[in-house]
Amino acid sequence: MSSRTWLHDMNPALKFILVVISMLTLAWFFNPWTPLIFFLGIVLLQFLFSRVNWKIWFLLMIPIGFTAIGYLWTTLLFAADTTGNVIWVWRGFEVTDEQWKTALSLTFRVFAFSSMSLLFAFTTDPVKFVMSLMQQLRLSPKLAYGVMVGYQFLPVVREEFILIRHAHRLRGIGKEKHAWQRLLGMRRLLIPLLAGAVRRAERSAFAMEARGFTGERRTVYYEPIGIVGRDWLMTIVIISLLTVSSIGGLLLS
Amino acid sequence: MVSTHYKKPMSLPVAKNTIIDFNQVSFQFPDDEEAVFQDISFSVQKGERVVLSGPSGCGKSTLLYLMNRLYPSNCDGKLNGSLQLWNKDAANYAPGEINARIATVFQDPDAQFCMPNVEQEMAFTLENLHVPRKEMERRITETLEMTGLTPFRKTTIQTLSGGMKQRVATACAILMQPGVLLLDEPLAHLDPLTAQEYVEWLDRLQLSRSLTIVAVEHRLDLWGPFFDRAIHVQSSGTYPVEMNPMRSSMNFPKRTTSIQSVVAFEACNISVRMKEKQLLQDVSLCLQRGEIAILAGPNGSGKSTFLKTICGILKKSDGHIQYGIIYPGYVPQSPEHLFVTQRVDDEIRFSNRTDDATIDDIMLRLRLDEIQNAHPFSVSHGQKRRVAIGAMLADKRPVLLLDEPTSGQDASALQELFHLIDERAKEGFAILMVTHDMTFAAAIADTIFLLKNGELTGRFENNGLLKHAEVLRDHKLASPFGACPHV
Amino acid sequence: MLKSWKLKEVVLMSVFAVVFAVVYLLFVQVGNIWSGVIGPIAFEWIFGIWFIVSIICAYIIRKPGAAVLSETMASVIEVMIGNAVGPRLILSGIVQGLGAEAAFAATGYKRYDWWVLCLAGVGAAIFSFAYGFLVSGYSALDPSLLALMFGLRVLSGAVISGLGGKYLSDGLLATGALRGYSISRDVPKKHKIKGEVIG
Ligand SMILES: Nc1ncnc2c1ncn2[C@@H]1O[C@H](COP(=O)(O)OP(=O)(O)OP(=O)(O)O)[C@@H](O)[C@H]1O
Ligand SMILES: Nc1ncnc2c1ncn2[C@@H]1O[C@H](COP(=O)(O)OP(=O)(O)OP(=O)(O)O)[C@@H](O)[C@H]1O
Ligand SMILES: [Mg+2]
Ligand SMILES: [Mg+2]
Repeated sequence: MSSRTWLHDMNPALKFILVVISMLTLAWFFNPWTPLIFFLGIVLLQFLFSRVNWKIWFLLMIPIGFTAIGYLWTTLLFAADTTGNVIWVWRGFEVTDEQWKTALSLTFRVFAFSSMSLLFAFTTDPVKFVMSLMQQLRLSPKLAYGVMVGYQFLPVVREEFILIRHAHRLRGIGKEKHAWQRLLGMRRLLIPLLAGAVRRAERSAFAMEARGFTGERRTVYYEPIGIVGRDWLMTIVIISLLTVSSIGGLLLS
Repeated sequence: MVSTHYKKPMSLPVAKNTIIDFNQVSFQFPDDEEAVFQDISFSVQKGERVVLSGPSGCGKSTLLYLMNRLYPSNCDGKLNGSLQLWNKDAANYAPGEINARIATVFQDPDAQFCMPNVEQEMAFTLENLHVPRKEMERRITETLEMTGLTPFRKTTIQTLSGGMKQRVATACAILMQPGVLLLDEPLAHLDPLTAQEYVEWLDRLQLSRSLTIVAVEHRLDLWGPFFDRAIHVQSSGTYPVEMNPMRSSMNFPKRTTSIQSVVAFEACNISVRMKEKQLLQDVSLCLQRGEIAILAGPNGSGKSTFLKTICGILKKSDGHIQYGIIYPGYVPQSPEHLFVTQRVDDEIRFSNRTDDATIDDIMLRLRLDEIQNAHPFSVSHGQKRRVAIGAMLADKRPVLLLDEPTSGQDASALQELFHLIDERAKEGFAILMVTHDMTFAAAIADTIFLLKNGELTGRFENNGLLKHAEVLRDHKLASPFGACPHV
Repeated sequence: MLKSWKLKEVVLMSVFAVVFAVVYLLFVQVGNIWSGVIGPIAFEWIFGIWFIVSIICAYIIRKPGAAVLSETMASVIEVMIGNAVGPRLILSGIVQGLGAEAAFAATGYKRYDWWVLCLAGVGAAIFSFAYGFLVSGYSALDPSLLALMFGLRVLSGAVISGLGGKYLSDGLLATGALRGYSISRDVPKKHKIKGEVIG
């Protein structure tokens, strides 16, 4: 089914803006329905228009579930607004219906935000995202390619970390017992790692400049990233979902 | 060596024009007390092939940085005197203008790239030059074809081996169609046959494009009669020039083996798999005490991977390793990871396993005494490697693994390295060394292991291997006696 | 604004961002689990970790914009790595960076003493708290709990990012790796003209 790639093919910068708009909108709602409807809608969208490995999706949702539970009981315990009808009493501790609603709302908000983030993460190629930020949102090429160098550095960080730890073990340091010693030992690991990063930054920058990179805007792209009709269609779908959940939430509560 | 003996008849100059001209140039790094260069003068003509030579740490890389204008602006160093490029003061060029005409391949194979795969990296280069899109496609395909990198077009650069990265970097430089090509020890990480091809290919390229080539190289013997002139880098004065430099390969003293019959180290059926890719397959290898073994093979065959696996840096998916109680010593291909102190001197003394006399001897012979107070991170490439080797030699580990210890070393450093390693072997240490330098290998090795596509394809007594021309060619190795490519 | 920046400085921020993005992500995992047990307050005492990159970069590079740019780049890279917090991290990155930047701007980008760094940590904490107030719905929480959270975050900003950042950068400076960046240029002057650092 070809529609299953629509979210993957969507312009990353546009997708990014949509995520930010949705989030800033949802932040104004304190009823449980708005985030819930939005969350379900996003899951549905993902189901229809993307190929997602749902097993991984659930695995990633688990820690988010923890955060959501944290929000639930903190809001119940420490709500600012304690008006409303008491619906539940336990050892002299009262929960009103208003409190319950706010708590649920914040909990669902965590889910709504996260589903949106996962949608983005699952359907977006990181490199294209940065290139699109540069091409559509006019991010400075200096920053964009700077970020690209950093991104290349990522797998290296892991390897260097292992190498440095190994080198330290090889040379007989790095066996601290106490927690605070280990914390200070972190410095011994971090500093060579950072020193390596500094040199790498310098060399990469030199190599880029040696290839004629000056940081000025480019006139041609080898792989131009555009916005096509279908992108606008997806935009309308997501904005409608946002509107429906906002209005629906207000009506239902 | 400071003379102008004879000239190639074909290169008789008809008023060549000078494109790089250093006149009384001095240069000093901001925090240093002494200048790297004091009133130096030399020049390079259009269409010339020049090699800069001089001992490791004398400032060759720094000179290249001055030529492509990365210094002084990027390091706040002090530059005095007149440095002209194409008869115009170098400081008067707009940013990027020089770099579109002078392409550079740097010494360090890592950290030369900013995009994920080869094609994107090449596109990045062309985008910088505002090349139209149709032309980009054509130029990329052409250059890949020419450099033999077509199969790697979509490969992620990070997963390439050191030598392959160096080739990609060269391809990107060529792609710019520059007037001048600066090469900083381009052969250091290439296997012998590839190095030979590289030289031949550079020769054709230079002839067809009338390119000017300025290279830094210690190992002139690999280049045959490629260069027109050798410029000897010194810290001051007008540089002496040698026309048509040629070197025959180095001579090392003869050594007798010191193998004892005790096994020092054994690896059985090592396999390494990474992301569905088999990097090593059933590699078994055994070293005895006092044995010096060489691990050789083409670029990307898995030599570095094997050493890393032995040290436990990479996880093996199968197999088993035995090396007694003390970890093997290890000098990685990028030696900086080893450094834990702030001074070269402390670095060598760190383990405290050796007496002062031995340490002083190591320092002196590896020429580290001149930089003993410098920070290990801020010395030249070859010096860093020697610091790491020195530290590991002083550590006195029964098994020593060296990943390309010979790369970037000048002739005298190689001689000292030869003696130091030989002495360690006599003391009963087992040494496994990766190198592309077949002359060095032939002189020092007791045994040579051959690796190809992640599989161990042969174990030879030293002099046994060199008789098998077929095997050598198959592993992209060259016999040290016929190493001169026919340019 | 970027005209006066050298490419190597921009790339430096980016690679630092990567090193710390990895650290951040580790802490997010830890924080997420903890926050199931003790609520959103779990993140507060380690919140300073999130500002450290902006403070280190500003301290090393000493140019207007270093704090906000580095924090933004760190967040973009976190998004590229892919995580459950997602693209909105970029927004919080910008806000936190602005907070730190405010402190450096208030001193006219002239002073980089330990207390300015702490102040930057505090600034980042205040900005990020205000942002959290809006986005995570803190307004629904009890003021006394909010005060506790706020206090913890400010403290963490000052200690972990301010002092911790200085401790790390000074260690790095001693390795000589930072030659050619403003921090090494200014050190000798600092000793000569007591306390006055020319940026
Ligand atoms: N950024 C720097 N700051 C201070 N000193 C430096 C810096 N870079 C190099 N040096 C010093 O300048 C000298 C020349 O270094 P350079 O890297 O140019 O040597 P090289 O001739 O290329 O050596 P090799 O053959 O080992 O690569 C060395 O002694 C080194 O310690
Ligand atoms: N992280 C990785 N993922 C996938 N493949 C990898 C990775 N690291 C290395 N390889 C591959 O493993 C092979 C062996 O690499 P290795 O660095 O061991 O080669 P090498 O023999 O040391 O080559 P060189 O002489 O060029 O240094 C290469 O083909 C390389 O592309
Ligand atoms: Mg050099
Ligand atoms: Mg290798």
